Amino acid sequence: MKIIVSNIQRFCLQDGPGIRTIVFFKGCNLNCPWCSNPENINPNMESYRENNEINTYGYEISLEDLEKEILKDQLYYKSGGGVTFSGGECLLQFEKIEELLKRLKENRINICIETALSVPQKYVDIAVKYVDEFIIDIKILDEDNINKINGNVQLYLNNIQEVFKNNKKVIFRIPLVPNYILTDKNMKKIIEFIEQYKPSKVELFKIHRLGEKKYKTLGKIMPEFEEVNDYIINEIEEKIKSIDVDVEYIKI
Amino acid sequence: MKIKNIIKKCLGKRVQIKLNYYRKLYRNDSRKSLKKFLKIKLYKSKNIAKSIKKLLSNVQLSDLEPNNKFYYSIDIFKIIDTNIENLSIDYNRILNYSLKDYKEKLKANIIDEKFYKDEINTIESIEFLIDRTVKKLQDDKCDENIINNIKNIKDKKANSLYEALQRILFFNQLLWQTSHKLNGLGRLDIILYPYYKKDIENEIINEEEAKNLIKEFLTTLHKYYERKSNVLLGDTGQIIELGGKDKNGKYQYNELTYIFIELTKELQLPDPKILLRVSSETPRDLIETSLKCIQTGIGCPLFANDDVVIDKLINFGYEKEDAYEYGTSACWEPFIIGKSLDQNNLKSINFLQPFENLLEVENVEDIKSTQQLVSLYKKYLEEYLDNFIKEIENKKFNDDPILSLFTDDCIEKNLDISKGGAKYNHYGFTGVGLSNLINSIKNVEIIIFKNKEMSFSNLNDARKNNYENNEELINKLKNQKIKYGTDYEEIINITNDIIKYTTQVINKYKNPLGGKYKFGLSAPSYIDCSKNFPASFDGRKNGEPFGVHISSSIENGYTELIQFASKLDYNENRFNGNVVDFIVSPSFIENNFDKFVDFIKLSIQNGFFEMQMNVVSSTTLIEARNNPEKFPNLIVRVWGFSAYFNDLPDQYKDYLIERALKSENNS
Repeated sequence: MKIIVSNIQRFCLQDGPGIRTIVFFKGCNLNCPWCSNPENINPNMESYRENNEINTYGYEISLEDLEKEILKDQLYYKSGGGVTFSGGECLLQFEKIEELLKRLKENRINICIETALSVPQKYVDIAVKYVDEFIIDIKILDEDNINKINGNVQLYLNNIQEVFKNNKKVIFRIPLVPNYILTDKNMKKIIEFIEQYKPSKVELFKIHRLGEKKYKTLGKIMPEFEEVNDYIINEIEEKIKSIDVDVEYIKI
Repeated sequence: MKIKNIIKKCLGKRVQIKLNYYRKLYRNDSRKSLKKFLKIKLYKSKNIAKSIKKLLSNVQLSDLEPNNKFYYSIDIFKIIDTNIENLSIDYNRILNYSLKDYKEKLKANIIDEKFYKDEINTIESIEFLIDRTVKKLQDDKCDENIINNIKNIKDKKANSLYEALQRILFFNQLLWQTSHKLNGLGRLDIILYPYYKKDIENEIINEEEAKNLIKEFLTTLHKYYERKSNVLLGDTGQIIELGGKDKNGKYQYNELTYIFIELTKELQLPDPKILLRVSSETPRDLIETSLKCIQTGIGCPLFANDDVVIDKLINFGYEKEDAYEYGTSACWEPFIIGKSLDQNNLKSINFLQPFENLLEVENVEDIKSTQQLVSLYKKYLEEYLDNFIKEIENKKFNDDPILSLFTDDCIEKNLDISKGGAKYNHYGFTGVGLSNLINSIKNVEIIIFKNKEMSFSNLNDARKNNYENNEELINKLKNQKIKYGTDYEEIINITNDIIKYTTQVINKYKNPLGGKYKFGLSAPSYIDCSKNFPASFDGRKNGEPFGVHISSSIENGYTELIQFASKLDYNENRFNGNVVDFIVSPSFIENNFDKFVDFIKLSIQNGFFEMQMNVVSSTTLIEARNNPEKFPNLIVRVWGFSAYFNDLPDQYKDYLIERALKSENNS
């Protein structure tokens, strides 16, 4: 069994507890215009040209080799760390990698995922069996606007319920994107949603343009977004604090 | 005619010694002059004890600066001809014995009349220097305590922390004054602790006063910074080793360990520098204190991993008790203090040189496989090392009654340290260019033998042409995934294969003093050796620097780099300094402090040999490169020492910037 990853990054100190290895899978079912990893949207390998050189986003790796890569830093996972699966939407690969997840679990490797959770429930059912920590995006909860990113609010909410039913540690992440996420209606829903689920933490971050070069290589243009004022961020932080949930604004 | 030649030769040598010294002393002085040159006085009699006597009777004693608690004076214009360098004397012994004790020890065991005489004369010269100093201090109406501290060196043991520190300074001054280069300080936290403890218990001083004394001790050592610097400004070799496992395997540290680290952080001086011996038992808060110091960008403490180092020393042949007491030479080469001559930095093995020799002679089209290439390389490596050692065998050391006085077993044997009087007499080399070699071989394997993307001779022609107008090829050569510093098994295996073969070759030889040869994989010469060195298959162009110590050109795969370094085989004679070196941006540590402490602790478990970091951002370096006047105090790690960024030659500045940029881009 082979799987396509775009990158395996070792010694990551964010995205979960301790020292971690992050595996980036290719392929995503959403289409968020602020995406910072545009090379991970298409599920297949993609060639591109840069400075007269032909390179490829993504490469195939067998589950055995992937496991080997993950275990290379096993010693460092004693820090409470482990592996984080990211993407793209990593859950889309979870049927394929279930055997690997099982072995990692047997090896007592802490497993974390970064997900938008807008996926068929069968993937979430696998995830709850193996994943220790869920880092879940909250994007658009407003039914009228969800089509903008090709999502499905009902599916998302059902999956959230499933995760919480299994008593998993959850961190919510909110990208602060004007017009998409920071609308009054959407933010109101988000706050209610946070209050309902009380995650262990909420992380806020502004979108960044570090992926702009990658857009270019893919023949795409990264859209411009309005700047978000600090007082807006402050306001959101305060609101979340007031419902007694831990919140952190992450500067990139 | 013959006599004339001899006179000319002697005169020539004298001028040469003075000229070398003059160049270093005035390295940053744009107005060099004959007058300045003539100010330098070299004392060079046939008998070294006589030279020492003349020198110490003539050195000018500086005034005690107001409010200074320590007297420390070096006459920078007077020199003698000593050439054993790069070591620490045993200050523990210095504190426990007076000069009188040494005289008695010598008298009790006279085997060689000349040795005895030289030693006694030397002690008397030191005593005369003490008398002169005492008289000067009395004339200047200096504090009685300072005078007594100096006076007691003649016939009393040191009795307090204050006195101990002054005595260390006196002998350190003596070593510099007698033209010894790169003088280390030894394990001062352990050595000074009994004095500290006694003084605190007897309420002679309190903690704060002790700290202030040590602070002034460190700033005093920093005096004569330019005079003390060797190859580059900052390269003084004034290293202090802290902490460490004792022979029962228990990790030793004390309040002074913390004080030395905290003061290094507070003072922000590039020199003296500290090294912390660590083990899996080193307490977390000591690592935290160290990291806070490193975080300021000061470049130290360097960590030496006792769990790895000590076994290697024992297996090599140092006695167990000695191995547990190890310090280092000026940079990081393990050194048995007070018992060895070991000259650990005699020369750098340039691992790329035999490869270059191979390419000059062989027809590359005849080479069809990696195996064939590696075995050919080994042939050239052997030839290179054979010649290398022949050159070293001619190295002669001058008589050195001062070092002989303080080194076992010179007095016991009545044999000068330069003639093999010490208990240990091993010679050490550093190593450079290994990463460039490994990456070259790997590139040939992948591009030529495996993927057959071009012919070997085409690649070699491009290389000979310095890859002119061939950026594409350079990128390909530089961007291979499997390279030195990554933990792919094939990389670890080939690296170990080559260093083990190096051992095999140099183990054929014993040095002229009967000692062995040893080497390590980190060297100061990554820029000096690479000047004018032709382009190589790792994508390096002519003259570009070699890889730094054990580092990766990926620059931020810290765990991967440590995994790699921990799997290298440092056994047999391969322990002469093996430093993992990397650059971290300040914000990275700041944002992840606790996890970074975890990383260091787990890396000790993992088994690195030694490790050091430069904590600095590329932005700061670039700004400092462009506006030096705005960054007078910016300090960076260079090799085994730290220096002011502004004092560095441009090449070093640029290389640091390049590495910092890479480290940031990859994260």
